[in-house]
Amino acid sequence: MIKAENLWKIYRSGTIEVQALRGVSLTVNTGEFVSVMGPSGSGKSTLLNILGCLDRPDAGTYLLNGRDVSGLNADALAAVRNRHLGFVFQNYNLLPRLDARRNVELPLVYAGVDSRSRRELALKALSRVGLADRADHLPTQLSGGQNQRVAIARALVNRPAVLLADEPTGNLDTRTSAEIMDIFRALNREGVTIVLVTHEREIAVYARRILHFRDGMLQRDEPVE
Amino acid sequence: MNLWESFLVALDGIRANKLRSGLTTLGIVIGIAAVIAVVAIGQGGRALLLAEMEGLGTNMFAVHLDWRQDSLGELRTGREFTAQDLVAIRQVVPEISHLAPISARTAVVRGPRSQGAAQVVGTTGDYAEIRNLTVARGRFLAESDQAGGRRVAVLDGELAREIFGRQDPLGQRVTIHGVPVIVVGVLEEKKSLLDFLGMRYVYVPLRTWQYIFHEPAVIHQLEGATADREQVAEALQKTLAVLERRHDAPGRYIGSSLEQEMEIVGQATGIITLVVGAIAGISLFVGGVGVMNIMLVSVTERVREIGIRMVVGARRRDILVQFLIEAVVLCLLGGLVGVLIGVGGAMLIAKLANWPPLISWWTVLLAVVFSGAVGVFFGIYPANQAARLDPIEALRRE
Repeated sequence: MIKAENLWKIYRSGTIEVQALRGVSLTVNTGEFVSVMGPSGSGKSTLLNILGCLDRPDAGTYLLNGRDVSGLNADALAAVRNRHLGFVFQNYNLLPRLDARRNVELPLVYAGVDSRSRRELALKALSRVGLADRADHLPTQLSGGQNQRVAIARALVNRPAVLLADEPTGNLDTRTSAEIMDIFRALNREGVTIVLVTHEREIAVYARRILHFRDGMLQRDEPVE
Repeated sequence: MNLWESFLVALDGIRANKLRSGLTTLGIVIGIAAVIAVVAIGQGGRALLLAEMEGLGTNMFAVHLDWRQDSLGELRTGREFTAQDLVAIRQVVPEISHLAPISARTAVVRGPRSQGAAQVVGTTGDYAEIRNLTVARGRFLAESDQAGGRRVAVLDGELAREIFGRQDPLGQRVTIHGVPVIVVGVLEEKKSLLDFLGMRYVYVPLRTWQYIFHEPAVIHQLEGATADREQVAEALQKTLAVLERRHDAPGRYIGSSLEQEMEIVGQATGIITLVVGAIAGISLFVGGVGVMNIMLVSVTERVREIGIRMVVGARRRDILVQFLIEAVVLCLLGGLVGVLIGVGGAMLIAKLANWPPLISWWTVLLAVVFSGAVGVFFGIYPANQAARLDPIEALRRE
């Protein structure tokens, strides 16, 4: 599913050079639920950007579904994100003027799906996260947990190969966090591959494997019992 | 994403900022309205002018001496028109149905109680036929008036009104340049656009004219008419040939026909309309800059939206098209409102100024297409700025 070999990413600003990733190799198999942990500056966000096809590695190869995507141009990467990846962010990243259904439909709009199928698929995704009755609510009319569930529905709606979550519970209280993580766990049991970035251990342990990052390198691969 | 989706998204963006969108398009609205109104009024005026000229008779022509080739002071050159010229031309050029000698000078015409300045035209009866003059009362000049050099005059309607008021001018005496003549006819007042110059005319037999102004045998100009419009050019050419032969002066006579004049007037008014329209078009340009400005603001405000769209799979082209369509729709809306206001304004001005506006469908079409083009031209830069954003950077920005 995900097979990354010797990924390097170096940021330069003026004369200062930051090695964000220093030869990271990792594999995530289909159906896995993997957490990525590490302190800030450990390179976990950079890794997620590369795995999410939002950025390209300076060196190394990244195979997604067996296809090398490390050298694709911006438009090709956009197509990969659209078809094969789903994103969940800490701050939801919903469009404030669109209701829940239309937010969920967004990836399908760019996939060229017609409006009737879009509506159907979006409502299905919303009911999967328990929000079927909130389809016509705007983000401002929903709670943080509900907004994050809308975001998860949006990430799921195009049946992605991998769901990437970046601190998805960072803005939520403990109880709501647990609800969101239960949704991730349930989705994983249904077969969705999940890569989750967090710095909280109690969130990371929802996964079955934790990848520990430090100073741009994969330090430890810890299985969760 | 297809264009229709992009259009809906763009429309949504415009709706989100109704007031701002409205104010932004104001420049376009004013620009288009100004162009439409100016062109409509210009075209209307031109059509009116040409129609008036047509009323003068499109089958007429005129011949005069080319003075530019004579040295100053050399006023007797032997090339002046003579009464014999007219006889010869009539014989040689059968196409000519009417031919009149004309001499003209401005003089004071004094009536019993009031007076006025007028162009005194010395001519013959044919002149009324050539110029389509209509007699309201009495008669126009007759052959016998010319033959006898009678002291008679025909006033145009306006002059008659100015001098005599409601009194009947027929049979009354007026003095022209101090010489008394009897009014035998009054022309109809013409409701004419060309009349704004306020020129008044009085017609006397040519011989009388020569007597009044002490200029024996002087004929300034010849005017003629043909039965058919198509014969004008040929008649004019033949007339010039006769004159050149009789006076042994090739190239010294200038002929002109009303058709030529109309062409020139048409071109001139067209150019005026074009120039004024172009000046009005500058406001369109200014409006376009306004749209560009607000689109740049819009892009900056919506960096996050752009980032989100990119993350879920929008290609650069999708973003570019979205913002480009937004700019074009803004301008088109402005253009449509501008057309309405422009048409309304032209009609209002027409009503007030008694001037028929001419709104052609192609002006409207051109205005709308042009406003769309303004949208593309001024929208491409902001849209490109949006499309070139990096999704990671865009998401990071608050």
